[in-house]
Amino acid sequence: MPELIKVDARGMACPGPISALTRAYRKAKNGDTIEVLATDPGFKPDVQAWVKRTNNELIELTEEGGVIKAVIKVTGKRG
Amino acid sequence: MERVLILGGGGGGAILANLLPKEEFDVTVVDRDEYHVFQPGNLFIAFYGDSIEKYRRPIRSLLKPHVKLIRDEVTEVNLNDRKVKLKGGKSLEYDYIIIATGANLDFDAIEGNRELLESYGDFYSTLENAEKLYKTLKEMREGRFVIAIADPIYKCPPGPHKGAFLSSTLFERMGVDVDVVLALPFPHAYPSKTISDIIEPELERRNIEVHTFFTVDSIDVEKKRIYSLEGEELEYTVATVIPPHEGPRYKIEPSEVKDESNYLKIDKYTCLIEGFDDAYAIGDCTNAPTSKSGVTAHLQAEVVADRLQGFDAKYSGRTNCPLITDGMGLFIISDYDHPPIPVRLSRFKRLLEDLFVATYWDAIRYPELWQPIFHAYFDATSPAKLGERGW
Ligand SMILES: Cc1cc2nc3c(=O)[nH]c(=O)nc-3n(C[C@H](O)[C@H](O)[C@H](O)COP(=O)(O)OP(=O)(O)OC[C@H]3O[C@@H](n4cnc5c(N)ncnc54)[C@H](O)[C@@H]3O)c2cc1C
Repeated sequence: MPELIKVDARGMACPGPISALTRAYRKAKNGDTIEVLATDPGFKPDVQAWVKRTNNELIELTEEGGVIKAVIKVTGKRG
Repeated sequence: MERVLILGGGGGGAILANLLPKEEFDVTVVDRDEYHVFQPGNLFIAFYGDSIEKYRRPIRSLLKPHVKLIRDEVTEVNLNDRKVKLKGGKSLEYDYIIIATGANLDFDAIEGNRELLESYGDFYSTLENAEKLYKTLKEMREGRFVIAIADPIYKCPPGPHKGAFLSSTLFERMGVDVDVVLALPFPHAYPSKTISDIIEPELERRNIEVHTFFTVDSIDVEKKRIYSLEGEELEYTVATVIPPHEGPRYKIEPSEVKDESNYLKIDKYTCLIEGFDDAYAIGDCTNAPTSKSGVTAHLQAEVVADRLQGFDAKYSGRTNCPLITDGMGLFIISDYDHPPIPVRLSRFKRLLEDLFVATYWDAIRYPELWQPIFHAYFDATSPAKLGERGW
């Protein structure tokens, strides 16, 4: 069953929201969706670079009231 | 007299025990080991060939005479009943408890990591393993020495970078052609972009091969390959992988005070364990959103010592993580309200770091004498003061 994994990395600067995403990604499987909330402005370019490198799909990247929301479809995990 | 029970006689536990006035507190420290280890010493053993003896002292010798020391392993803590059980069968009671048992390194979480440790040693787990790594590196004549990381939350964030810089100098001194490879889970060469921009030229100058977005997933010791969660692989001749860390494994009642990695959930300012007013946790065993470092453990110990004496002390989240190369150094300085400030590598800061190392045993034994000196340093270098000007 595909799952929705929610990661709240608001207020987190170091080691940062990408680290929180990485930790969630370890537990995820192909087909799952990961939703990350972050306030660190560096997260936007970082998550774009991350999906490219890991061959996952960025379905949504929005910013509202200083909160960045990224929704990622997990497609890049090795067997 | 209030009975204070401190679990762990490492950096945080020993300083706290020595700071509490004997007229007011009856202090007991429990530690399973005979020795207190100065963990940065791992680097100097693994890459300079220093002796183990330089970086450990019997815990007893570091504690003031009035502090009681029990050498045993904690197996269960009940915060509701104020009781602690030890492996040897003893049961202890307290008025205040401070958990300071550090982080566990889980070498079985990643396939192949224990074999890697047993074959080559490392510079994170024990002084003996650091000695083993030095011997391994001294045998290398060519190939690739890979330093990689299995989880983005590990103690001393610049530790792997220090390993890369110091090993590259070791190979240079040996006159051998070994490539140093540093693989990191982060988007840049350091979690903070500010720091990354400062150290990247230095990594380049030393021909250290950096791989970003590389979080170790598994290791194939037959094929000598490391695979990342992100889908890449690295070949090695010799490798060391910093394993996932976690909080205490022993049972704690109520279990909700631990997070999913067993770290104790604390208030990041007061260090009180969530839901309690007589139980604290400090150092590497907590979920405080700051670097796991000796400086953090030290500053939190001071906060708890003050709070136990009735003051409203708070930990600012201040870090002071040293990043050193063979001749230069810098300190990564941040707090809860400020991301790492811009800093320059300099010879002077390497000297300052050597000075901190030299004073370590004395600073643990006599924290009250060193406190004004450290306070002056932390104050003069606070992120609020240095801010964008940097250091
Ligand atoms: C290579 C390396 C370099 C580092 N460099 C730096 C640096 O330059 N600056 C810096 O600030 N920090 C540095 N650190 C980090 C620093 O060493 C730690 O953050 C610090 O030691 C944490 O202190 P602590 O008191 O929380 O835990 P520790 O010092 O790890 O002490 C924990 C104690 O608890 C005991 N214990 C554990 N479990 C039990 C149990 N069940 N029962 C009884 N006793 C138990 C252990 O025996 C140990 O004595 C470095 C670490 C490494 C590995």
